[in-house]
Amino acid sequence: MDFSLSRPKPHRLKPVLLASLLESDFMSAPTTTAATSATCANCSAPTGGAHFCPSCGKIQPLPRGTDFFSFFGLPQKLTVDLEQLEQRFHSLSWKLHPDHFARASDDERQLSLDRSSLLNDAYRTLRDPVARVEYLLGLAGMRKEGQKKQQAPPELLEEVFELNESLDELREARASGGTAAAMAGLRAKLEAAQHKFEASLAAVDQELARVSAEWDAALDSGADETASRKLMEKMNEVLNRRSYIRNLVNGVRQELAES
Amino acid sequence: MAYSDKVVDHYEHPRNVGTLPKDDPNVGTGLVGAPECGDVMRLQMKINPETQVIEEAKFKTFGCGSAIASSSLATEWVKGKTVAEALAISNTDIVRELSLPPVKIHCSVLAEDAIKAAIEDWKKKKEVSEPAANATAGN
Repeated sequence: MDFSLSRPKPHRLKPVLLASLLESDFMSAPTTTAATSATCANCSAPTGGAHFCPSCGKIQPLPRGTDFFSFFGLPQKLTVDLEQLEQRFHSLSWKLHPDHFARASDDERQLSLDRSSLLNDAYRTLRDPVARVEYLLGLAGMRKEGQKKQQAPPELLEEVFELNESLDELREARASGGTAAAMAGLRAKLEAAQHKFEASLAAVDQELARVSAEWDAALDSGADETASRKLMEKMNEVLNRRSYIRNLVNGVRQELAES
Repeated sequence: MAYSDKVVDHYEHPRNVGTLPKDDPNVGTGLVGAPECGDVMRLQMKINPETQVIEEAKFKTFGCGSAIASSSLATEWVKGKTVAEALAISNTDIVRELSLPPVKIHCSVLAEDAIKAAIEDWKKKKEVSEPAANATAGN
C-alpha cells in the first residue's frame, strides 16, 4: 500500500492537525457498534473504542466487530456528509500514519498499519453511495455469493439476455467489417443502446437513493426488525438489477470506444 | 487470481455455443442469472421423449470466464445422458472439474440451476402437449 497517497496535502496539514488535536469528538467517543468496554493496555483507562487512548494517547488495537461506519464514528446510515467524511479521513490518515510510529514499539507500529489500511478501505467504500449500500447489506449477511443464492426476476433476465444478444450482434457485425454506411448505422444503433442503458442506470441509481433515504428515516424512527429487513431486501433487489444494467452500460461503452 | 487451464480452454474454445428452437416441444430452455455479478446464462437441450436422452445441448452465456466455462462444461456433460442422470449433476462436480476458486463457486451453481431449469421447462411443455399420457404416467 502506498501511504503517501493518503497523506494530507501540505497546505492542509496544519489546520487538520490542529483541528484534530482540539476537538476529539469522534476520536474518543464513537457512538456505534465497536466494543466500548475496551481498556487501554498501557494505562488501563477505558478507551470507549477510540483510535487513541483518551487518557495516555497510545494507539489502540481494533476492537472486535469494528466496521467501516464505526471506524469513522458514524451511525450505519446511508446518507453520508462527504465533506465531513473527507475531513475525518485526512485527519485520521495523518494521525494513524505509520511514519509517526517509526520509533514506537513493534506492536504500536503494527496497530498503525492495521488502522491505516482499514481507514483506506473504509473511506473508499463509504464515499461511494453504491459501495456503501453493498457494504451495509454485506454486514447483514445479505450479499453472500455462492451458497446463499440471489434470485433475479425472470422478466428482468429475459430483457437482459435480449439486450446482451443485440449487443453481441452489433459486435459481430462490426468484427466482420462492412461498408461505411453499414458502420455508421451500427454506430447509431450503439449510441441509441447506450442512451437507453444509461437512462436505466440513472433510474436505478435514483431508486437506490430513494430506498437509502427510507432506510435512514426508518433508522431515525426506530423501525422494528421486520421493517428494516424489508428495506434491506428492497435495496438488495435494486443492487442486483443495477449489476445487470451496469454490465450492459460497460459493454456498450466499450463497443463505442472501439468502433 | 488466475484461471485454471480447463477454464481457459472452455473460455477460448467454448463447446456447443448456440441456440435451439425455443418453441420445439422437445427443447427445454433454462434462463438463469447471478445478480451479484450481472451474469446471464441460457442453456437449452433437445430431449428425446421416448428415451429421455438429451440429444443436443446449446448454451449462450454473458458473463465472466468461469460462468462461460461452467455452462460450456455443463452442455458437454449432459449430452448423451438421460434426464435423470443430468439432474444428478451437482455444482460441486463442476467446481472440481474446473478447479474453481471459492469466489467463483456461484458460476457453477448457475450452471447447475440452468440444467435444472431447462429440464423443468421441457417437462412443463410435455405436460401441456401430452396431458393424457402424463396423467397415466403419474398414476
